[in-house]
Amino acid sequence: MTDAQRLDLLNPADVARLGGIEIVAQGVVEGFLAGIHRSPFRGFSVEFTEHRAYQPGDEPRYLDWKILARSDRLFVKQFEEETNLRAMILVDASRSMAWRGAPARLTKRAYADRLVAALALILLRQRDATGLITFDEAVREVIPARVRRGQWTRLVRGLLDTPDGLGTAAQAALLHLTSLLARRGLVVFVSDLLFDRGLALTALRYLRHRGHQVIVVHLMDPAEAELSGPPEVRFRDPESAASVVVRPRELARAYAGTVQREISAWRTACRRHGIAYHHVLTEMPFGTALRLLA
Amino acid sequence: MTFLHPLALLGLAAAAIPALLHLLERRVPPEAEFPPIRYLTEAERQNARRLKLRHLLLLLLRTALIGLIVLAAARPLVPARGGGGGGGGGGAHEPTALAVIFDNSPSSGVLVDGRPTLDRLRAAARGSIARAGAADRVWLMLGDGVLRGGSREALLATVDSAVPTSQRLDLTAAVERATRLVDAEPLPSREVHVVSDLQRTAFGQGRADAARGVRVLALAPPPRAPSNRGIGTVRVADGAVAITVTGTPGASPAPVTVRLRGRDAGRALAAPGASVSIPLPTVTPGWWVGEAVLDPDELRADDRRALVWRVAPPARVRAEPGAGSFVNAALAVLAEGKRVADGTDVSIGERLQASPGKSVVLPPADPALVGQANRALAARAVRWRFAAPGTPGPLSSASFPGIGGIPVARRYRLEPRLGDGGQTGRTGADSTVLATVNGEPWLLQDGDVILLGSRLDTAWTALPAAPAFVPFVDAVVNRLPRGEGGAPVTEVEGAPRVAFQTRGADTVGATVYGLDPRESDLTAAADDLVRRAIGAEPLDDARFAAQRFAGARRADASGLLLVLGLLVAAVELGVATLTP
Repeated sequence: MTDAQRLDLLNPADVARLGGIEIVAQGVVEGFLAGIHRSPFRGFSVEFTEHRAYQPGDEPRYLDWKILARSDRLFVKQFEEETNLRAMILVDASRSMAWRGAPARLTKRAYADRLVAALALILLRQRDATGLITFDEAVREVIPARVRRGQWTRLVRGLLDTPDGLGTAAQAALLHLTSLLARRGLVVFVSDLLFDRGLALTALRYLRHRGHQVIVVHLMDPAEAELSGPPEVRFRDPESAASVVVRPRELARAYAGTVQREISAWRTACRRHGIAYHHVLTEMPFGTALRLLA
Repeated sequence: MTFLHPLALLGLAAAAIPALLHLLERRVPPEAEFPPIRYLTEAERQNARRLKLRHLLLLLLRTALIGLIVLAAARPLVPARGGGGGGGGGGAHEPTALAVIFDNSPSSGVLVDGRPTLDRLRAAARGSIARAGAADRVWLMLGDGVLRGGSREALLATVDSAVPTSQRLDLTAAVERATRLVDAEPLPSREVHVVSDLQRTAFGQGRADAARGVRVLALAPPPRAPSNRGIGTVRVADGAVAITVTGTPGASPAPVTVRLRGRDAGRALAAPGASVSIPLPTVTPGWWVGEAVLDPDELRADDRRALVWRVAPPARVRAEPGAGSFVNAALAVLAEGKRVADGTDVSIGERLQASPGKSVVLPPADPALVGQANRALAARAVRWRFAAPGTPGPLSSASFPGIGGIPVARRYRLEPRLGDGGQTGRTGADSTVLATVNGEPWLLQDGDVILLGSRLDTAWTALPAAPAFVPFVDAVVNRLPRGEGGAPVTEVEGAPRVAFQTRGADTVGATVYGLDPRESDLTAAADDLVRRAIGAEPLDDARFAAQRFAGARRADASGLLLVLGLLVAAVELGVATLTP
């Protein structure tokens, strides 16, 4: 498979046009795994099983240095995946996620659905129990983490069955989420983070405190990072209906600075609390985004 | 600061356009969804001050740009530095009311160094008018003293077509009138340019009452005025012509020739200020026209002057018995000189002839006969009568200057005859009072009758003993009965010519037009006299040109404003495009 044929490296909007979310996710995962030749997620569920001869492309970190020292031969350690990793993917389905800056791009929600589907497929292939929670101002869909057969289909169905929200993510929904995650595991929080940072950090910090490994995926449309538009325009928030008249050209630089400061603030706050933070633009190939998460 | 095109300042209203657009703009911007509006409001909040400053700066720059362009279009004039030595070239000035006095009086025709003085004056006048701008008001006064307005082109054409006139211009009065005119004009600056040869005789009495704030510039006369002689006055009397020569004092004598019908009738030598008498040849009765001529010099206009006189046939006079010895003696002298002859055309005495005829009536020696005399006058429809005796007093007469001041001891007051209704009779057009005593008529003419208030006797008046007595009798019996009045020939200033006055078929007088004798003296006025008379310092040609509009000289600041406008436009462009 060449790079040109790998769906994980193509433009997300182009990939999305190839078919339904299942096909896209499977294609992305196939390409992604072919590219890295290894399991991207390691953790509590990985146990050593046997050695095999080193082949070019294997990562040096898996070399068994003791064998190398004794026999001067290269062997890599192989691991058996277990099912004791419980991954829960939280997807923000608020109204702001249903926005895109240009018709040629995916909405943040559509991008998130495909990315989450691919991620879930990878996790499930590793026999990790994977679940899904969607929410907006309330929790909309809860699919407990399982590793059984048909779990990925249920997850995808759960994504598809969750409509675009009307409101924004609310404090109540976030607190509800924490109560649903009783057993510790991996929590992947996919959102555009267009809500109160303090409130979200409180919930995420709580999860971290409960022993979860937390990954925050901050989705953003490129048009949200760089302000553009007609000479003068009234921008309206689809969630709060608040509006403001601006001249994009004269505010663009200040706006870009504000966005960068916001991203930095999220990144700093997450790092302080041991939370992984990734900023993902919706024009980023799915494979690249998945690699960030690996 | 003033403006060449002040109406363009109306465009300053356009400077309000940016502010009005800013305030009144009701354009509804397009609307779009934008989820991260919290970032937007945050960015706007943090940059609100900077954006407000930027908007304010742009508003100010655009307003200033429009203002600068409009001001430049209005051509503002600002005081210029060092404008006095510019030689009169270039440079604008603030709106000025200008009166140019172009003295093309007869003396302007003089040749100086082979060039007519008028050409130099014309060039100076042209320069003054040509420098005037569209915002100026200009008047031109020529030697006729008339202030004429009009367009610059029309006035220039008038200057170009001007020739030496025959009228003298009193510069003092001319400057006073010109300053009064420009002073009434509501313009920031006022000037009077005196373009004249500045003869000293051109300045009248006193000083021109120049209004404050009116600059009077005077072109200096040529450094050297040529010596000149002219015929001043010409009088014919007693068979001779008396000629007064005028001109530059101290000029050498020049021959004066009297010509009659193209022939030289006499010649004499005279210097300016002198008079000569040249006998006229005996000629037949009638009106005669001749001329007194000087040899040509630099000013030709005053080298000749017409002379007119009348040679009348002797009147045929009959002295009535009561005329008196003095009258008879005078008539005898006149008869000897062939001024009168015996006859019945005119009678003189105390009795009025009943038959129509010209009569000179003296009051009767016997007071008892006064009533009879009055009845006789009434019978002849004379509208005057002898009244009560009048008070003594001196004679006064404009018609007979020679008898002025001669005392009258006795006289009858001459009063208009009362009409039937008791009203004073009208004197009518034919009644003329020729001499008075104490303001009361003493000698008058009413139709064919000449009435005297006193007998021509030394017991009544000293006139018979005066040298003027015989000429007086001559006039009374010769000129007055013919209706010639007291002065048959008058002199008037004007283009040299002779005009005759007629009454019916008779020629009763003549008017001789000629130049004012003062024009012949070409001596230039001293600077002090010019300063005192018209408040101006005589300036040579270069300084005169430099000082034109110098009080109002301004620099046109429109170029500077346009440069400023370009700078402002560049700054506006930079602020609008380079700053976010």
